[in-house]
Amino acid sequence: MRGLSSSQQRVVFALAGALLVLNLASFAFGEAPPQTLARVWAGTWGTPYGVGQVLFKATPLLFTGMAFSVALRAGLFNIGTEGQLAIASLAGAWVATKLGANVPWFLAVPVVLAVSAAVGAAYASIAGAMRAKAGVHEIITTIMLNRCADVVLPWILTVALSVDGVRTAAIAPGARTAGLDTWLPSFHGSAASLAFPFVVVLAFAVEAWLRRSRIGREFEWIAQSPSVCEAQGIDVAKRRMQAMLLSGALAGLTVMGTVLGYKGYFELGLGAGAGFSGIAVAMLGRGGAVQLVAASLLFGTLAQAGLAINARVPRDAMGVLEAVVILLMGATAFASARVEPAPSEPARDKGGAA
Amino acid sequence: MVVASAPRIELHGVSHRFGEFTAVRALDLVLEPGRIHAVIGENGAGKSTVLKLIAGLLRPSAGAVSIDGDVLAAGSPRAAMERGIGLVHQHFMLLEPFTALENVMLGAEPIRRNILGGMRFLDWIGALDFDAARAKAQALAADSGLDLDLDARVANLSVGEKQRLEILRILYRGARAILLDEPTAVLSPLEAAELYRTLRRLALRGHTIAVVTHRLDEVSRFADEVTAMRRGECVLREQLPPRHGRLDASAEASSQPEPEPSALILRLTRAVMGGDVPASAPKPPVAPGAAAVLELRDVSVRGVGTRRLDNVSLRVHTGEIVGIAGIEGNGQRELATALAGLLDIERGTILLDATSPFAGHNDAAARVRAARARGLITVLDDRHHDELLLDATVGDNLVVGDLGLADEALIQKRRFAIFAIEPRSPSRLASELSGGNQQKVVMARAFDRTRHSLDPSTNAAHQPRALVLDQPTRGVDVGTARILHDAIIGIAAAGAGVLVISADLNELRTLCHRIVVLREGGLVAELPPTASDEDIGRAMLGVADRSGREEAVA
Repeated sequence: MRGLSSSQQRVVFALAGALLVLNLASFAFGEAPPQTLARVWAGTWGTPYGVGQVLFKATPLLFTGMAFSVALRAGLFNIGTEGQLAIASLAGAWVATKLGANVPWFLAVPVVLAVSAAVGAAYASIAGAMRAKAGVHEIITTIMLNRCADVVLPWILTVALSVDGVRTAAIAPGARTAGLDTWLPSFHGSAASLAFPFVVVLAFAVEAWLRRSRIGREFEWIAQSPSVCEAQGIDVAKRRMQAMLLSGALAGLTVMGTVLGYKGYFELGLGAGAGFSGIAVAMLGRGGAVQLVAASLLFGTLAQAGLAINARVPRDAMGVLEAVVILLMGATAFASARVEPAPSEPARDKGGAA
Repeated sequence: MVVASAPRIELHGVSHRFGEFTAVRALDLVLEPGRIHAVIGENGAGKSTVLKLIAGLLRPSAGAVSIDGDVLAAGSPRAAMERGIGLVHQHFMLLEPFTALENVMLGAEPIRRNILGGMRFLDWIGALDFDAARAKAQALAADSGLDLDLDARVANLSVGEKQRLEILRILYRGARAILLDEPTAVLSPLEAAELYRTLRRLALRGHTIAVVTHRLDEVSRFADEVTAMRRGECVLREQLPPRHGRLDASAEASSQPEPEPSALILRLTRAVMGGDVPASAPKPPVAPGAAAVLELRDVSVRGVGTRRLDNVSLRVHTGEIVGIAGIEGNGQRELATALAGLLDIERGTILLDATSPFAGHNDAAARVRAARARGLITVLDDRHHDELLLDATVGDNLVVGDLGLADEALIQKRRFAIFAIEPRSPSRLASELSGGNQQKVVMARAFDRTRHSLDPSTNAAHQPRALVLDQPTRGVDVGTARILHDAIIGIAAAGAGVLVISADLNELRTLCHRIVVLREGGLVAELPPTASDEDIGRAMLGVADRSGREEAVA
């Protein structure tokens, strides 16, 4: 493993562990491991269609992974991307259904994205305000707000918008995001859309902006020490609020991958799970935009692989695999942190009396 | 408790390297039972590393530490502890919400086993035996003269009491060799004298004592033997006259007249600094009739817990350096944080050039920025809590809080050049710097804020207004402290009004035109810089002076 950084080593360990578990799972379900692996390969990176599907699955994960990591930069844990993206997707989709059939894409898509980002930010601002004004920890409030979204969404959909069933009408054609197969015909049949290149560019842009700008640097300083920042005159409450707003807005943009680029309407449960998987993507992809994109592709691959083997091995096996990757990453991160000895560990905390 | 005789600790050719950097180089050292051994040196000279090597927290790169002739298992704190070695860290390692007794017991709790009758493997379900722990702790405290309320919460203890608690804690674990890392850095002179009385008593009981300190006068007054270190090497070792070796609790206190810098102190200073100390710049007198720059009128502020500032009135004039003395926790931090704009002022007014520096803001962040824009600059005492981002670069630390106000590259370069910060690279992390260099970063930022407007359109130097410094040289070596003192005197000479809060009375005497004493949140006395330790100490403790009255604030 020489020549690899410790984070690269962790990824290698995690992938090896995941592969092992996949083999065991397929063995347990009476399928020969090599055949399962072949199926996984063919369903993901082995065919153009598979690649397209991986990109499609990675798209919402990259949005939510970015959302989580932006908040984390300021030392905040936005566990609420799940609820933020759901409410924002409904809002964006509803606006998109109201647009005229002949509104061109260069108007329709920005309008829908702006609405979704604003609604996602607004929903996240509830947790942000409670942290800034009342000191209520955002982990608690964002989890609660996820549950609130679960309850409120069906009500809005059926009562406030008087929609029959669990989905909105189809969105205006101008708001649809074109599939990648428009330019790359071999992706035909896959659901990958322009949302993927968009979110990749966005990830690099946000990273570059936060690295250079005053707001981004102050985020990092606040995460390091809010007390120092306060004493030096940085408005910590305001910056935390801004981090939550930005995080919620990015979560809201997930609408591009799910509604605009894929379904063409909003239905209950669309994008569900992307928020939580986004946390794993953000934790795995710490350190920069490249890592974040790679992590989203990894989890996108696992999700797509689950579909590919579903006929023989339950796709839940892939959920187990995701968990294994997260656990191994966490455990190895912990182990590598322990290897370097704490320089001034107090002696007397270590044992009993003489 | 197994009563063992105190260990004789020997270091033979011990070296320790941190990466490229050699902290300790081929050091020989013998710590004898019954003696107080002082280890002195500048920041980064390797003093604390020596203690950590003895306590097994660090592993020697070469050489060996032996206890009573047996080589200590390298890098094993547990083995060192079992041989009776206890280390009191510079920063307290206490659980604030718990009582003193609970802290003493922690990790070595006796178990009641009257029900289960000595089945040791069932100990974990037994109740803690607080009575046994209390009896043992009380006996140890009485024996060593450690005056402490065992039922007090640690959060409510003074710094001196916390220090005593730390010592009691390691005695409780059977320590017979006591190593203390800069124990007096945060103590008042009276508390320091009290600590040394305790240490002397322990030494007479046969304990082995080693003390790392910056304060050379302590060495001449209290130690039996001294080792001076410079750049990881022993540069001077001296046995001190036996007059120091006696227990004389009443006479050994600070009531002795302050001795003139003796030949010994000069010798030690030269050894530690590697040459002669440059003389401190003389402080110019305050011009008669100088205008008041900073004024507090009946200011009351509520701090953490029961701490507060009560009806404090004070004026600092142009060119004047006013010192605040007092036992830690008597309102110093409240005073400094209120002047910084971080605390709401309950009653009274703070004035800078006769108007409020806070521009009527209700929000702390806005107040901090407003005060800074007006030229009221504050440096708080807790470097790691308020002043320095340890995981950020030196360059970032030089500009934190000032982004967007001025050309960053320009102010960063200007601030980096004010003091010779080592290592000479703004891209190093602040945590990699020694304490003295960390403080240089903090002070460079403050001095630059005092002298330069942050208005990007002008960016010109301007007349310095007011500087509030809480413990400006705490934990900083003699050479760096001298540099910082000269800078403080210089900025006052340039017209700033300076308020210095310090636990170091020598520092206050060197810098200040007058010294006011803060006790229980109020100003209780004003003294000239020529006042003795004893006079200042009496005012700090609220003891009436010889003539039976307290001095009133002028």
